[in-house]
Amino acid sequence: MSGIERILAIAGNTVREAIRHRVLYTLVFFALALIGTGVLLASLSYVERERILQDVGFAAIRVFAVAIAIFVGIHLVHREVDRRTIFTILSKPIARSEFLLGKYFGLLVTLWLQIAVMGAGFVVISMLAGAPLEVAHAAALGLVAAEVAVVVSVALLFSAFTTPMLASLFTAGLWLIGHLSRDLRALGAQSESDVVRRATEAVYRVLPDLSAFDLTVHAARGLEIAASDVVMPLAYAFGYATLVLFAATWIFERRDFR
Amino acid sequence: MSERRAVVSVEALSKQFQGGIGRRAKRALRDVTFSVREGEIFGFVGPNGAGKTTTLKILMGLIRADAGRATVLGHDVRETEFRRHVGFLPEAPYFYDYLTGREVLEFYARVCGVERARRRERVETLLEWVGLSHAGDARLRTYSKGMLQRVGIAQALVHDPQVVFLDEPMSGLDPIGRKEIRDLVVRLHAEGKTVFMNTHILSDVEMLCHRVAIIVQGEIRYEGDPHAMLEGEVRDTDVVLTGVAPALIESLDASVQGGLRGVGDRIELRVPHKAVGDLLGKALAAGAEVVSVSPRRATLESLFLTAVEQGGRQ
Ligand SMILES: Nc1ncnc2c1ncn2[C@@H]1O[C@H](COP(=O)(O)OP(=O)(O)OP(=O)(O)O)[C@@H](O)[C@H]1O
Ligand SMILES: [Mg+2]
Repeated sequence: MSGIERILAIAGNTVREAIRHRVLYTLVFFALALIGTGVLLASLSYVERERILQDVGFAAIRVFAVAIAIFVGIHLVHREVDRRTIFTILSKPIARSEFLLGKYFGLLVTLWLQIAVMGAGFVVISMLAGAPLEVAHAAALGLVAAEVAVVVSVALLFSAFTTPMLASLFTAGLWLIGHLSRDLRALGAQSESDVVRRATEAVYRVLPDLSAFDLTVHAARGLEIAASDVVMPLAYAFGYATLVLFAATWIFERRDFR
Repeated sequence: MSERRAVVSVEALSKQFQGGIGRRAKRALRDVTFSVREGEIFGFVGPNGAGKTTTLKILMGLIRADAGRATVLGHDVRETEFRRHVGFLPEAPYFYDYLTGREVLEFYARVCGVERARRRERVETLLEWVGLSHAGDARLRTYSKGMLQRVGIAQALVHDPQVVFLDEPMSGLDPIGRKEIRDLVVRLHAEGKTVFMNTHILSDVEMLCHRVAIIVQGEIRYEGDPHAMLEGEVRDTDVVLTGVAPALIESLDASVQGGLRGVGDRIELRVPHKAVGDLLGKALAAGAEVVSVSPRRATLESLFLTAVEQGGRQ
């Protein structure tokens, strides 16, 4: 019970920190501007104007959400250690896992707020351009939010034991691979060699499969979305993030803060 | 009263810092053993780099010892729950600078599980205690070093702990600030709390501490009553003379250790206690006048330096 209260205290403060730092507003402003440039790009085309508009919009939302997740995520704990604010906190009756979870949820809520703001921008521009808005768009946005939950957990894991520089490279790399991992598996499965097939399968299991979170194509083309297209990725995100957070906590609890 | 419960107990702690690739590991603590009794003001004293902060961080669960055992209030320091009775002021503390003084204390109170209803009142009381009531609504970014030190003390006390650990509490404070902190420490003691204080300011130790441990190069050199260390021994005596003829100065110069200091015909000199009679005889015979004779007791500082030197030699 009081454990939850402590996690909330850390999370609430993390959100407050984000709100008081102006950098994030700037980033969200840029994302909105980028969504707006979709209008410009679409106007250059004679066909599928709405699709181009919405493709650009979704790409902007995803890239900015993930970029903020990575760059804020890797600094989340590091800055506390660097500025020594962590000493006074961890010497209080709070478990290290509670601190880590508080930071995680704090950043996640911040990111979700930002995705909501960017999503609102997307809706406004779509309406102005007369592009269709359907359930699929909401679903696609929801999965970006879930994807970000995975990315932040990975950023936390890496930042638990490396420098922010390396952690950002690892996390960004993993995110890219995560979007390709399904293709990699498909490629490996065609191999003659049994070893290659098994290896690619194993790699696929360990790496996050992020292509499942991409409903952009469905949404922009107005394709039908089955419930499982949304539920499965959500469950996957929950499971994956939970495992990664366990690993991050395991490392974090063994660390010296000197 | 003499055999009170040990509130802090440290047994054979050792800690080595890994030096990173290609660098040598650094041994910060070697077999450190001492204990702090309930209700006392305990001074953990040593020169820079002796291992005071390292020991304190182990006690706070921030770093893990390689060997040995440390308990606070009977709990292994790796546990978390008992920390609701422990307060900690780190060395040169730093806080979320986007929060105001009031906000940061409320945040810590919440982390410590102080009930919502009591938080407000507790924070106001503490701001008052450390003299920050007027600055409670300013962001910490705008605080001076001394003000941050006060916030540090306030956050250490926010949950009304039984034991308070202070790492160099007077550092960065002006004389008035130091006096206020000393008063605060005395007040905590009067309330029955145990205070553990890292410091290298010996006058503070002499004024405040009931017991001390001296640590040098990661090893404990002394544990006990600081005043017991000082009693007895008078080693040197300072003598001040006037109306001294130049011839006398020359004859004394050779015999006096540490040389003479003087302006015109007034000189000050320091001689071994046993040689005072001899010196005064000579001086009076030469027509000089005695201004003062003051025996010097060993100070904590000199004992401290001796302990450090012994450390260097072995
Ligand atoms: N993070 C670290 N990595 C490597 N060595 C360290 C680290 N922290 C401390 N040390 C070494 O451990 C020894 C003890 O340091 P510590 O900070 O405990 O000293 P201290 O007694 O608190 O000194 P001061 O009075 O300067 O605060 C020093 O020799 C220091 O160089
Ligand atoms: Mg220190």
